Amino acid sequence: MLDRMEGKYDVVVVGGGPAGMGAALGARDSGAERVLILDREPEAGGILWQCIHSGFGLHYFREELTGPEYAERFFEKVIDYEVDLVTNSYVSGISVDSDGTKSVRVMNEEHGMDTVNTKSVVLSMGCRERTRGSIRIPGTRPSGVLPAGLAQKIVNLKGYLPGKRIAILGSGDIGLIMARRLTLEGCKVAGVFEIMPYSNGLTRNVVQCLEDFGIPLHLSTTVAYIHGLDRVEKITVAPVSKDLKPDMSRAWDVKCDTLLLSIGLIPENELSLSLGIQMDVVTGGPRVSSTLETSMPGVFASGNVLHVHDLVDFVTRESLLAGQFAGEWAQGVRRPADNIRLVPGDNVRYCVPHSLSPEREHTIYMRCKEAMMPCRIRVGNLMERKLRFVVPAEMIIFKIKPDLLDKFHGDTLRIDILPAEKGKRHD
Amino acid sequence: MIKAKQYTCIGCPIGCPLQLQHEGKDITEISGYECDRGAKYAKQEFTDPRRDMSTTVEIIGARWKRLPVKVTGPVEKDRVMEAARKIHELRVRAPVKLGQILIEDFLDQKAIHVVSCRTMERID
Amino acid sequence: MYDVAIIGGGVIGCSIARELSRYQVRTVVLEKYAEVGFGTTKTNSGIIHAGHHSSPDTLKGQLVVRGNTLFDQLCSELNFGFARIGELVVAQGEEDIPVLEHLKKQGENKGVPGLEMWDQKRLQREEPNLSHKLVAALHAPSAGVINPYEFAFALIENAVDNGVELKVDSPVLKIDVVKDGFVFHTPHEQIASRFALNCGGIFADKIAQMVGLNDFTINPRKGEEYMLDKRLMGLVRRLIFPVPKPTTKGILIIPTFNGTIMVGPTAEDTDDRYDVTTSYDGAKQVFDFVSNICPSITERETITEFAGLRAVSNTNDFIMGPTNIKGFINVAGIQSPGLTSAPAIAEYVCYILKGEGLVLKPKGNFKHHVPGPPRFGTLGIEEQQKLIKENPLFAKIVCRCELVTEAEIHNAIDHGARTLDGIKFRSRAGMGRCQGGFCTTRCMDILAKRLGLSFHEITKRGGDSWIVTEMGKVKNR
Repeated sequence: MLDRMEGKYDVVVVGGGPAGMGAALGARDSGAERVLILDREPEAGGILWQCIHSGFGLHYFREELTGPEYAERFFEKVIDYEVDLVTNSYVSGISVDSDGTKSVRVMNEEHGMDTVNTKSVVLSMGCRERTRGSIRIPGTRPSGVLPAGLAQKIVNLKGYLPGKRIAILGSGDIGLIMARRLTLEGCKVAGVFEIMPYSNGLTRNVVQCLEDFGIPLHLSTTVAYIHGLDRVEKITVAPVSKDLKPDMSRAWDVKCDTLLLSIGLIPENELSLSLGIQMDVVTGGPRVSSTLETSMPGVFASGNVLHVHDLVDFVTRESLLAGQFAGEWAQGVRRPADNIRLVPGDNVRYCVPHSLSPEREHTIYMRCKEAMMPCRIRVGNLMERKLRFVVPAEMIIFKIKPDLLDKFHGDTLRIDILPAEKGKRHD
Repeated sequence: MIKAKQYTCIGCPIGCPLQLQHEGKDITEISGYECDRGAKYAKQEFTDPRRDMSTTVEIIGARWKRLPVKVTGPVEKDRVMEAARKIHELRVRAPVKLGQILIEDFLDQKAIHVVSCRTMERID
Repeated sequence: MYDVAIIGGGVIGCSIARELSRYQVRTVVLEKYAEVGFGTTKTNSGIIHAGHHSSPDTLKGQLVVRGNTLFDQLCSELNFGFARIGELVVAQGEEDIPVLEHLKKQGENKGVPGLEMWDQKRLQREEPNLSHKLVAALHAPSAGVINPYEFAFALIENAVDNGVELKVDSPVLKIDVVKDGFVFHTPHEQIASRFALNCGGIFADKIAQMVGLNDFTINPRKGEEYMLDKRLMGLVRRLIFPVPKPTTKGILIIPTFNGTIMVGPTAEDTDDRYDVTTSYDGAKQVFDFVSNICPSITERETITEFAGLRAVSNTNDFIMGPTNIKGFINVAGIQSPGLTSAPAIAEYVCYILKGEGLVLKPKGNFKHHVPGPPRFGTLGIEEQQKLIKENPLFAKIVCRCELVTEAEIHNAIDHGARTLDGIKFRSRAGMGRCQGGFCTTRCMDILAKRLGLSFHEITKRGGDSWIVTEMGKVKNR
């Protein structure tokens, strides 16, 4: 295909967003010589180019950057590290030969359909937005109902507005950010409606994107009906009862021409599923070992394709690691198989990775089901940590040291989030 | 006369409801915070509230129609809309480099500029 | 002056247009929306009925079997998606079995081929994911599924190739009855014809009233449909019907032509001719019912939902034939099995026109064939590579969920797409689980470039369905 795509790669990374770039850098760090990123967009960087607000990089660069700045810094590193990058390319399938070599099938306007051979693969396709269909809003089906991220692309890259008078369902960060963004562009944002009794976004965004501009946030309220034949004309919103069903006796109408949906993200795993990789039904991503390897040997996953993160810095951190292990794998390093299964217990929605090995230190990423404050995390009988609070919108990250695991003789380690014990002070 | 102002702390997801009491410009009491960040935040919000500011401007001759830009220092909260209007008057021609200064000493603040947040090549 | 004006470009109007295009007749189709098939047709369940459900005493009951048999040839000529996947009417209890037996007998009398009673064991073997509480089923192998909008697009394309004129965005506002025929007023022009075919669907009674005919009414009956995630593909292989009720064939499980499963429709009478809304009650009805028949189908799997209106007449049958106004012919009240009957209706209408004095002289150069869309995603790799060699735009993915390529978007525009929905219904871009999140701006870019429009001039489906607006307009406010 391309000159630079000829021959056999050590690591091929599917997707060139922050996860893919991180994985490629990690792979090069591990000593892998030939690393290739395939990206379907005209430029690597993923969704970061349209996230023009600041708030990126505090953990990784120790500096607050906008999305494009974060993307460009990484992009420069990718070039410095001599990673091959082919854009406008869509990976339509991966197959595994008898010797373990992976053939990655790529489609590209310039070069048609071809395959690239590689020893290992990192899946970093990211995630996509949930749509109207996934939450089932009754009413008509006019133009003007769209996911907030698509609206963000329309405004920040294409240079158009999704409408003039906007309502937003869901208080995820993208929705909050878009409320401010559209206000700055002269739109009227009529309100943000959140079905849960708490915001799903960062407090900082509630304050700086809504309160600063006098945009009302209606908690425990949802959109119960969409009106308008060709274009949205208004929506009916209603407070919800305990079972999250709208109470139509207290409903009211909101005039708007646009309804943005900021109702969550779903890992994009069509490719993983076509490979027959084992999935976690809760995260919507692959099940991975402590080396971030999927159930298919030599295929790794990281970033939002694995589980949806709240901060790009954590995507980067996880992806560097996935890239390292993928690079090692390509060079013939085989780590001992994990022998401890990690399972979510009380008030734990999920935890990643799905298994551990006493061989090294592990970073555990997890989310709670319900807000709790104060509380403690208990990892089997190995460790307990006090926390001031947990909320579903914020990922919990902690490390487990190998010496702790050395003392563990079971095969299943359960993680619980429990209320703080009475009488004991939390810090 | 003592007056009260309410803030929501943005330091962490707890979002402590802060109460600040003041007599004219003098703060008499801050309460409602769980950690020191709350007190500090309320004080800042009362004396000189500022916001990070980023938006896009029109760009000609590039792959995309908009160029992301930011102000290199926080902007007074009350002037955010004014700042947006000013920045939106800009029209840039590709190529542009990351960090390139587009407006110098923005809103008459020394060494606070409007800069490009990315490189965009010229595409004809 | 046209010989025939067809009012309404739904699947009925398009079928008649194509049939008339075989003859030396000047025909025009007046469609009120931006593209054909954008009314009831695109919300149709897409079922080609075997014909055993409707009584032979009705017009619809007579035309349906003939319609069904015409689909094989139509499909081979027009290349729309069609598959005879078969149908099962399932009995939920012993008391339903006599109804199945009645349907079987009714079907056999009408010439429906291959009807067969299945016992519980056979049913479980053939459709293992259906509820094990079902006691028996009636199998009708000749039932099938099509994509109704593709059918309408192919029909009109072929008709236009053979000389029919299509006028979109042309609602008929007023009809003058003149000496030799009719003058139709649309927002843009006045059009004259000798014969008028009233294929106005939901509005057919209003069209009839324009020439002073008040002898029937259309009472829309709404149906809500719920499209499920591709994940469930293959769960059910045949159309699944409950035992029918007087107003409806009931809520069905429909493995669509593309394999995606759809459930619905509801049946609710409405006064509002624009009421294409879905509702909490409708969804509850559908999923409560379907989960009894196939327990693994849940509301959670929904990727999109929509509603359509059936054009039910006060006679509860098709209303077809000449009227007191010479030359004005009704083709109205076309409810289920209207889609299946469409080809037979088209033949029948030609017969009526002949009776009314229109000379139908066959054309020597009638083109039977339209190529149909390429459907890259359904092809094997070798065929895909061949297409890419011919046109590199086949290697450029525009819609990732349904694997639609840029070449297919161009093909859709080449074959008449003018709106985002026009592209979606021709190419499937935007029909998958992300519902256009990824491809919307890409399709808009291509449409804008090809049609010479600005980005903000693109619409979802014509009219006021704009998608984006210009930045400056708001800024300078």
